[in-house]
Amino acid sequence: MNAPLLKVSHLAVHYGDLVGVSDVSIEVAEGTVVALLGSNGAGKTTTLNALAGLVQPAGGSIEWQGGRIEGTSADAIVRQGIALSPEGWRLFVTQTVEQNLRLGATALQDRRRFGALRDRVFSLFPNLAGRRRQLAGTLSGGERQMLAVGRALMSDPKLLMLDEPSLGLAPAVVDAMYETLGKLRAEGLTLLLAEQSMELALEFADTATVIQTGRSVLAGTAQEIAENPDLHRAYLGAAL
Amino acid sequence: MIPLRRAWPVAVLVILAIAPFLTANPFYQRVAALVVLAAISASAWNVIGGYAGQISFGHSIYFGIGAYASLLLFGRFGLPPIAGAPLGIVASFVVSLIIGPPTFRLRGHYFSMGTFAIAALAEILVVNWKFAGGAIGLMGPAMPRSLADLLFRNSLPYYAIFLAVLALLLALTHLMQRSRMGFYLRAIGAGERAAESLGVPVQRYKLYALLISGAFTALAGSLYAVMIGFVDPESGFGILISVNMVVIAALGGVGTLFGPLAGAIILVPLQETTNALLGGSGTGAAYVAYGLIIMLIARFSPGGLAELWPLINRNGRRRAA
Repeated sequence: MNAPLLKVSHLAVHYGDLVGVSDVSIEVAEGTVVALLGSNGAGKTTTLNALAGLVQPAGGSIEWQGGRIEGTSADAIVRQGIALSPEGWRLFVTQTVEQNLRLGATALQDRRRFGALRDRVFSLFPNLAGRRRQLAGTLSGGERQMLAVGRALMSDPKLLMLDEPSLGLAPAVVDAMYETLGKLRAEGLTLLLAEQSMELALEFADTATVIQTGRSVLAGTAQEIAENPDLHRAYLGAAL
Repeated sequence: MIPLRRAWPVAVLVILAIAPFLTANPFYQRVAALVVLAAISASAWNVIGGYAGQISFGHSIYFGIGAYASLLLFGRFGLPPIAGAPLGIVASFVVSLIIGPPTFRLRGHYFSMGTFAIAALAEILVVNWKFAGGAIGLMGPAMPRSLADLLFRNSLPYYAIFLAVLALLLALTHLMQRSRMGFYLRAIGAGERAAESLGVPVQRYKLYALLISGAFTALAGSLYAVMIGFVDPESGFGILISVNMVVIAALGGVGTLFGPLAGAIILVPLQETTNALLGGSGTGAAYVAYGLIIMLIARFSPGGLAELWPLINRNGRRRAA
C-alpha cells in the first residue's frame, strides 16, 4: 500500500495548562473517507483545528504527502490542499453567499478558476445558487452548513475536513448533506469527518478512528469498528 | 435611486469645501479646521480599528510621533515644521513594524489593552526625554520666516490643507474597500479564525492595515503641530488622543467610509463649545459627554450613526437590506 496522504502520529495539543488532546494518531489514505469518532469533548474538534493549523501542536507529528507540516500557519496549510469546514460554520454573516465563496477561494493559485469552482458548488448545492446575493446571516441552518462546506471546497482541496456536518440539522437535511458528500467521494476527494453520530459515520466511512479523552483508542475499517464491542464502552467513557 | 446615492458623497464634500467661507467668525473657522483634522485621524484609525476590527487604544503613539517630528525638526534644526510630516510617516512605519507583530497575537479586548499599555509607556518615555523638551514640550515658530512655515493668522488655509489630506485618505479608503484588501480586512474583522482557516494571511493584512492607519495618524499629528505650534506629552501622546479617535469613529460608524467624518462633525464642535463656554475649569466636561455617548452607542446603536442611516434614507437601502 502507498504511503498515506495524511499521517498523524501521537499528536498532542495544549491550551495553556489544559490538555486538548494528548495522543492522537490517524492515517488517511488518498481517496478514502475516514471518520473521527468520539463523544462530546473527546478531542475531535481540537484534532481537526490542529490539522488546519489553527492551534499549534505541543507534540507529535503531522505528515502530509510525505512532508512534515506541524507548526505551519493556517493560511499556508490551506494552500497545501487541506480545507476545513468548521464546527458552527463560522460564516461571514454580514456578507453574501457569493462573497463567502469568494473568500473561500483566497488560497486558490489560479484565480480564473473561481467561476468554475463556484458553479461546481452551486451544482452540488442548488439551494445556494438561488440565494447567491443573500446575506449568509439570513440562511437556514441547513443552508449555512451547505455554505460552510461549499466555501471550504472553493480552495479546491485534496483533503476536506468536516467538523460535525450533521450537528443541529433536520434528518432530511442530514440525508441530503451526506448524499452530496457521497458525490464528492465519487469524484475522488479524500474526506476526514468528525461525527458524534456514530451510525451515520460508520455507514459512510471506509475507516474510522475512535478518540476517547484526548487519545485515539481504536482504529480500523468502518466495519471492524462497528462490530467491535469496545466501541460502545469508549463512547460511554469506560477505560479501554 | 442610484443617481442620488452616487451624488451625496460629492454633495458632502462640496458643502465641506465652502462651509467655513460662509462665516467670518474666526471661532467657527477654527472649529471647522479642527473638525477636519479630527476626521483625518479618526478615518485613519478606522482602517485598522473599523475595517479590520482591531480596536486600537494606542493610536496616540502615531499622533505624537507626527507632532513631535514636526516640532523637533523646527526646534533643533530650524526646518519648517511641515518637513516633519515625511519623517513622522517613516517613523510610524518603524513603530508599526515593531508593535504590530506582537500585539496582533492578542485578540479582542486584549489587543486593546496591549496597545493602550504601549501608548501609555510612550507618553512616560517622552516626559523623560530631555532632547524632546521633556514634560514641557516643544514650540513651533512664533513668527513666519517664510510661507513654508505654514503659519497663518486665519484658520482657513489650514482648513483647505486638512480637507485635501482628508479627501486623499477617504479616496484611498474607498479604493481599499473595493479591493481584495478591503474584502480580507472585513473578513478578519468578522471572524479572524474563519478568515485564517480559508487561507487569508491574517497577520500580514493586519500589518498592512496598521501601516496605512499609523502613517495617516502620524500625518494628522504633524498637521496638528503645524497649526497649533505647540505639543507636550499629553497633547501628543496622551491617552485621550486615542480615545478621541475611537469615540469619533464609533459615533459615526466604525468600518464605514464617512462614519468618522460624521462623528467628527458632531463631537468636535461639542468639545470646542464646552471648552469655550466653561473655560479652564470645564475642559473635562466634553469627556463626561464622551462617556455618555459611548454608553448610548453601545446600548442603542453599536454600529454608530451609520446604522441609523437606512432609517433616514429608506429608498437607498431597502434593496440591500
